Amino acid sequence: MATCTFWIDGKKYEAEEGSNLVDAAKENGVFIPSLCYFKHIDPPLGTCRTCTCKINGRFNPACTESIREGLKVEVNTPELVDMRKALVEMMFAEGNHFCPACEKSGHCDLQHMGYELNISTSRFPHLFKDRLIDYMPKRMVMEHNRCIKCRRCVEEVFTADKKRVFMYINRGNETMVGIDYEQEAKLTEIEAENAMKMCPTGAIIVRGKSLSKPFGDRPFDMESAQKHFHHPITEKPKVANFEKKTIATVSLAGCFGCHMSMLDIDTDILDIAELVSFNKSPLTDIKTFTQRCHLGIVEGGCCNTENIETLKKFREMCDILVVMGECAVWGGLPAMRNTIPLGECLEEAYLNSVTSEAGENTVPYHEDLPKILDRVYACNEIVKVDYSIPGCPPSPNHIWKVVKSLLWGEDYSLLYSEFKYD
Amino acid sequence: MKKKITIDPVTRVEGHGRVTIHLDEYGKVEDSFFHIVEFRGFERFIQGHPYWEAPVLVQRLCGICPVSHHLAAAKAIDQLVGVDPEDLSPAAFKLRKLMHYGQIFQSHALHFFYLASPDLLFGVDAPVEKRNVFAVAIENKELARKGILMRKFGQEIIQAIAGKKIHGVAAVPGGMHKTFDPKEREYFLNGKDIPNINTMIEWSQEIIEFIKGYHEKNRSMLDTFAMFPSGHLGMVDNSGNLELYHGKLRAIDSIGNITLPDVSTNDYQKYFLEGVERWSYMKFPYLKEVGREKGWNRVGPLARINICNAIPTPLAEKERQVFVAFTGQKVNNSTLYSHWARLIEILHCAEMMRDLLHDDEILSSDLVREGKTRHEGIGIIEAPRGTLTHHYQIDDKGMITRCNLIVSTTHNNEAMNQAVRWVANNVISQKGTITDGMLNQVEVAIRAYDPCLSCATQALGQMPLHVELINHQGELIDERFKNG
Repeated sequence: MATCTFWIDGKKYEAEEGSNLVDAAKENGVFIPSLCYFKHIDPPLGTCRTCTCKINGRFNPACTESIREGLKVEVNTPELVDMRKALVEMMFAEGNHFCPACEKSGHCDLQHMGYELNISTSRFPHLFKDRLIDYMPKRMVMEHNRCIKCRRCVEEVFTADKKRVFMYINRGNETMVGIDYEQEAKLTEIEAENAMKMCPTGAIIVRGKSLSKPFGDRPFDMESAQKHFHHPITEKPKVANFEKKTIATVSLAGCFGCHMSMLDIDTDILDIAELVSFNKSPLTDIKTFTQRCHLGIVEGGCCNTENIETLKKFREMCDILVVMGECAVWGGLPAMRNTIPLGECLEEAYLNSVTSEAGENTVPYHEDLPKILDRVYACNEIVKVDYSIPGCPPSPNHIWKVVKSLLWGEDYSLLYSEFKYD
Repeated sequence: MKKKITIDPVTRVEGHGRVTIHLDEYGKVEDSFFHIVEFRGFERFIQGHPYWEAPVLVQRLCGICPVSHHLAAAKAIDQLVGVDPEDLSPAAFKLRKLMHYGQIFQSHALHFFYLASPDLLFGVDAPVEKRNVFAVAIENKELARKGILMRKFGQEIIQAIAGKKIHGVAAVPGGMHKTFDPKEREYFLNGKDIPNINTMIEWSQEIIEFIKGYHEKNRSMLDTFAMFPSGHLGMVDNSGNLELYHGKLRAIDSIGNITLPDVSTNDYQKYFLEGVERWSYMKFPYLKEVGREKGWNRVGPLARINICNAIPTPLAEKERQVFVAFTGQKVNNSTLYSHWARLIEILHCAEMMRDLLHDDEILSSDLVREGKTRHEGIGIIEAPRGTLTHHYQIDDKGMITRCNLIVSTTHNNEAMNQAVRWVANNVISQKGTITDGMLNQVEVAIRAYDPCLSCATQALGQMPLHVELINHQGELIDERFKNG
């Protein structure tokens, strides 16, 4: 086939005519993120839109475009970078992607794309849909809350006699991927596991099967797919004169794990102790702000009225407000209750537990107890948040790099392996 | 005029709680409460999820002892796939134990050095700005450094096994997913990169010497402060010795009579009930047979030292004997002895880690066992703060249909309320003015239990300390935050 000339962001490249734009760009050292594009699926699915570029002046997914002479492509304009980010954020907000509790974490393409695009929080409110978790199939459990409807399983999972196992059902925003139970039962264990691996999220899981690999050994833990596309970052010299600053910290509806992660810089905390004074914090005995602080660090989301008051106070008393950890950033695991009426949660905990007294009829409710909110709220739903640090918990390096940068303007580069959702 | 004192938040504890103390018109304490103010609802929202997600999901209850939750859930999930604790492969069993001891070691180090030490070093009446680990770091850098490195050692053991210091994953149904690497073992044994396990043992002994000196000097205060009779609950092995990963449940009353005679953990439902009070989101577990009023138990280091016949490692056993001799062989009901007991456990954990690190079986790759699936799994473990229970029921398809969690700190709920009441009656009652030092003593009493209120509120979540004075018409007269 003929070689033709095409343009990306004003630079001239060459590629074989008819080759896929995503691949051609990659071969020429330009990374176009993609979720549902796989070389062997032809025609490409084009469902996820993560590879959206401006092609000859129009927004289109790059994966459905093939190289032809004179093609003009825009990839890394600020508008496009942000648009692709928004598309992936939308996928996170639309489903229930609780990375810390998902067996696909570390193997998940959606999560990986979040890392590659540096998504620390979604600009869209989480919908907290309560879709079916389908336990009917023989080998699989279908977690519809995690399905991004990429159609990959529909196109690629077949039984030995070439029958489809998955197919779209319903229409519009009711669309979901259904399973043909009869056909699914014909899959071998290995075929079922392959379907699980193929799914870009944790929607298809094989019963009792954990992909669980040690952290660090999972496919998306350590190295960015963009590793070879990047120019090395030259770090600015470190700031020599540190002015003493004041920090306040709090754990709202969190588990204290983020605070523990802060302590995991180990003996470096001895140096920090000389540079920073901690005001209101569970690590000190200062219970109400005694002064305005340079930085407030919040762990946990809001699950009761007191969390809301505390968070507002933090916003009021701190120049910069950082939220750390999945719970603070978007609700995290406690937000799993957002799909369940509060009354049911209380009943289960206080009235119907295995060790409840017979005829128990007390549920805590008292003037000295804050009222529990209808659902768990992310911090940015209550106050303006200046910076979000994802992770469960975030790595100590991530937290302190951000803190030092915010307090003293120290430049930092975050390693791919330091930015995680679990 | 009646008053209500509120301490909110209780600080230097893990989580979020509040104390209220009610005074009558003469300033005499009428009543006091330790409230846990959050609710999270894990027991409900885990329903509908597949059972094999539980060990990863529920460890998010707590960021201080996630390993305990991970392992308690793992033990329960093992049973769901038909693997009892005795059936685990030796490698999986030992790796879980190693991780568990690493966890208790780091958690106890965290509590002692980061949270409690300011009270011991600077006194309970020290100015508020001094009562924190940063002041300790500045004034006593060497002690702080050792404390930090001890916690680091435990955290790194966890990381070597679970891949991450906090919220790592190690257990899979029926076993573990990763074995120990000879290089990792070398890292902990040779001491080139971090102080080695023998140094950990030495430092543990040093800190025990420190606390013994502290007890000699302050004996009368430590004996009486927040001393009250209670039951004690914990786990023992088949010979009645201290056991933290898997054994039998034993409880005694305040003078040593057996109230729970070494029963199987699988039968916990036969023996325990939980009460609910309107004023706290944390429940009140107790022994069914003894009843709500007297059947509650303390759990954690002091309880464990009280109930066990011996500690199965020599150095810690020697220290246990010193401890027991110091208090005249009697059951110890004094709250502040918890610190000493906790440090003896630190030494025990260090010794156990040393033995396990030298055991070649931790390098084996025989990690997972299978069995016949069941519908119910119960995992009970001794977490740093005490007996921790996870209980799951599933349907034929593997969906969790019911979950019951009794977190360690929940058992200590009544004990912490008693401790607060003791301080209220003995330190605050009829004193006229209430000082910051007095209020800190309330917290010192709570802190001794190392309450993990983030765990305890699995059902819920967090704990600040704020004292309110309320008059007999129930009006708020005065309100003090500790540093207020």
